[in-house]
Amino acid sequence: MPGPRALLGLGLLVAAARAGGRCRERGWSWSWNRGWNRGWERGWERGRCLPHRAMHSPGTARPGPAGLRFLGQEEAQAIDQELFTEYRFSVEQLMELAGLSCATAIAKAYPPSSFTTSQPAVLVVCGPGNNGGDGLVCARHLKMFGYQPTVYYPKRPSKPLFEGLTTQCKKMDIPFLPEFPAEAEFIDELYGLVVDAIFGFSFTGAVREPFGSILSTLERVTVPIASIDIPSGWDVEKGKADGLQPDMLISLTAPKKAAMHFTGRYHFLGGRFVPPALQEKYALNLPAYPGTDCVLQLT
Amino acid sequence: GPRRPPARSPRAPKSLPGVERGPGCARGLGTALSPVLSGACPQGSRAEAEAMEKELLEDYRFGRQQLIEIWGHACAVAVTKAFPLPSLPRRQPTLLVACGPAQNGAIGLVCARHLRSFDYEPTIFYPKRSPDPLHRDFTTQCEKMDIPFLSYLPTEVQLINDAYNAVVDAVLGAEGTEGTAGTEPCAAILATLRLVRIPIVSLDVPSGWAAGPGGSGDISPDVLVSLAAPKEVARRFQGRRHFLAGRFVPEELQRKFGISPREYPGSDCVVAL
Repeated sequence: MPGPRALLGLGLLVAAARAGGRCRERGWSWSWNRGWNRGWERGWERGRCLPHRAMHSPGTARPGPAGLRFLGQEEAQAIDQELFTEYRFSVEQLMELAGLSCATAIAKAYPPSSFTTSQPAVLVVCGPGNNGGDGLVCARHLKMFGYQPTVYYPKRPSKPLFEGLTTQCKKMDIPFLPEFPAEAEFIDELYGLVVDAIFGFSFTGAVREPFGSILSTLERVTVPIASIDIPSGWDVEKGKADGLQPDMLISLTAPKKAAMHFTGRYHFLGGRFVPPALQEKYALNLPAYPGTDCVLQLT
Repeated sequence: GPRRPPARSPRAPKSLPGVERGPGCARGLGTALSPVLSGACPQGSRAEAEAMEKELLEDYRFGRQQLIEIWGHACAVAVTKAFPLPSLPRRQPTLLVACGPAQNGAIGLVCARHLRSFDYEPTIFYPKRSPDPLHRDFTTQCEKMDIPFLSYLPTEVQLINDAYNAVVDAVLGAEGTEGTAGTEPCAAILATLRLVRIPIVSLDVPSGWAAGPGGSGDISPDVLVSLAAPKEVARRFQGRRHFLAGRFVPEELQRKFGISPREYPGSDCVVAL
């Protein structure tokens, strides 16, 4: 009498859609023994703020774990397309998981108790596309985690997905600013963190207004900036040496080549939804996420 | 000189004047009377759960797929808390996920997918597939994650006991009525679930419980994951662990439906009750 598993294997299993075996190998288990550095709190207090650039010398980009691939723009777009067409995910689903990852990474690196502002106030700047949508989801989760997010969302696509996400935020008492703070100092005074959800991996060409002015202001801000997927304004592969210098980068799905130029303190991987088969196909070599966490700290 | 920020009122966050606010910002006056307070729906009742879901979809403009994704992910997290990988008795981290034909089944599909990404080995039994394109997409996503789908559930219960560490019951949930609980294939699944000796995790409402008052025919889940708020029938639950997946419920809805606020650990989407 064959064992129960064999019996199930022989008689009962409908052939899985893919004939190949599963690859369980995720390589090494990435563990990074780095205590949470609260020293930055003292540096960021008003009146003693240091500009980002002074704290990080250019060109000290940290490499990721050995073997981890950094994607080019076309590759990133191809993977995205495959998730929607082959794997039948919806933008709605993946955006929810991506935004949750961003909020979770922020909660790990900048817990509410670490804010020097009296409330853990966060400014979320949302761009005109999917990166902006990720920002809206992130804002909603930040609210649930006890932060006080405020959104600036100047160019809103008239699609049900984005209208729905906007309504969800508004109904949860998340204010939407009518105009962008005119001065960087104003942002520094009101918020302890800025989330850059302006442009993502599809960004090409010139930055259109109002985002040019917004990015100029953000470049002068001294509170930490957390960029979703790509620091906005950067070339997705080459970066931008004189552009935004965020303190945190949350790479979604897999890091893009621009991340090699990232010199901020926190690089997280998020978007824990890539099926093993897709990971294999593109040889992403993603390190293992810890437990059920939807984020993985890379540096 | 530079514009000074307005003085903060006690409850409102700092903001610039003229800030857009949604209707949820109105406190006290003007908010609709809770269906609970108005006596229209008893607390924890199916009618109340439906009213909340309606409000999430119509007023808050959540997408249905978005909600199912949120619920399925939260259920998977709860399963990993109830049955951490190192604690599983079998050599392989196998789980059987039994999915019914309606929304509870779809939640089970999403749960299975997340369990797979958490390195468990779920196997799905989904005999009566919903024609809803949304549910079909959830099915494809599971297939593409190499999750096997059983073509039939063995009636010899020992096979199930031996093959899997636990069963996730996503068969009927709150949708179970006397009618559906008695029809095939749900009736056969429930008959089998009554006999398994491995732990059962029920999603939202143990399948068959909503059909009527508790009896000896009820399945006895080890773990219950309540969605949004515990349902009335959850009072009969006597299993080991009860989780609430309610972090996604906006504060205004919690107040409106009389859901007591809970402390969720860290950024967890579920809390043990």
